Amino acid sequence: MLTLVIGGSASGKSEYAESLVLAAGPGPRYYLATMEPMDGECHARIDRHRLMRAEKGFVTVERYTGLAGLTLPGPGGTVLLEDLGNLAANELYSPAGAGPEGALDAILGGIEHLRVQCRALVVVSNEIFAGGRDYAPGTEDYLSLMARAHRALAARADRVCEVVCGLPYYYKGAEE
Amino acid sequence: MMLITGPLWSGKRAFACRVLGCTPEELSSRAVWDAQDLAADCENLEALAEELSAREAVLMTEVGAGVVPADPAQRASREAAGRLACLLAARADCVVRVFCGLPLVLKGECAL
Repeated sequence: MLTLVIGGSASGKSEYAESLVLAAGPGPRYYLATMEPMDGECHARIDRHRLMRAEKGFVTVERYTGLAGLTLPGPGGTVLLEDLGNLAANELYSPAGAGPEGALDAILGGIEHLRVQCRALVVVSNEIFAGGRDYAPGTEDYLSLMARAHRALAARADRVCEVVCGLPYYYKGAEE
Repeated sequence: MMLITGPLWSGKRAFACRVLGCTPEELSSRAVWDAQDLAADCENLEALAEELSAREAVLMTEVGAGVVPADPAQRASREAAGRLACLLAARADCVVRVFCGLPLVLKGECAL
């Protein structure tokens, strides 16, 4: 079961995605963190998310690039990947990433590699496409990568929803 | 006329080809896309909306979210795009929003 959860900043997408993992039943829960902490703001954000996951039984796995090389600690679990926006940026810009040519394949291949290792995979991503395209040079490469990743994942996902004010709207599939 | 809206690169043209039953090459004779750009320099949005509503399908990219631009021209163009979208939606038989390639019918009944 692959679920794509998309929302804007502070839309409540993390909490909602987490609730989907909790609803998926017992079994190991893995939180796959893709944001590489760079500064105090990152650490503050990570602390906030760690607090939200407290006592919910999540094992945190940090991986910033190359998901195809990641083996989960055990089979049959549920994975919350948060988030695609950071993963895409890392694959595109990080020295350890796949770079512009390989980023899309690294993302899609990595997610497929994860999906077959678990019972349910919930991927959280960011709605960044309705604010025009007048950004600094280079940003369009990132937008394009994210758009292609979204469309490809949406096509293969069992469920796709957008979260607005903490409320999900399902474009594909439904909440169980 | 079918209005097809959605965020940037959400799969609007691929959807239009599918729903109109045409190839990407044939789409220009069946539909207009990037209508938000037509709004930018338009003196009369009502007249533009009338003209566009004669087409089978009109495609627009949503540009009105995010921070309001500091530049007056950019501000005006995205304002015009939003107003044109409303005028077109009022005239459309069917309005579809495409999100990550997946259609959501906002108005009317469309054979998807």
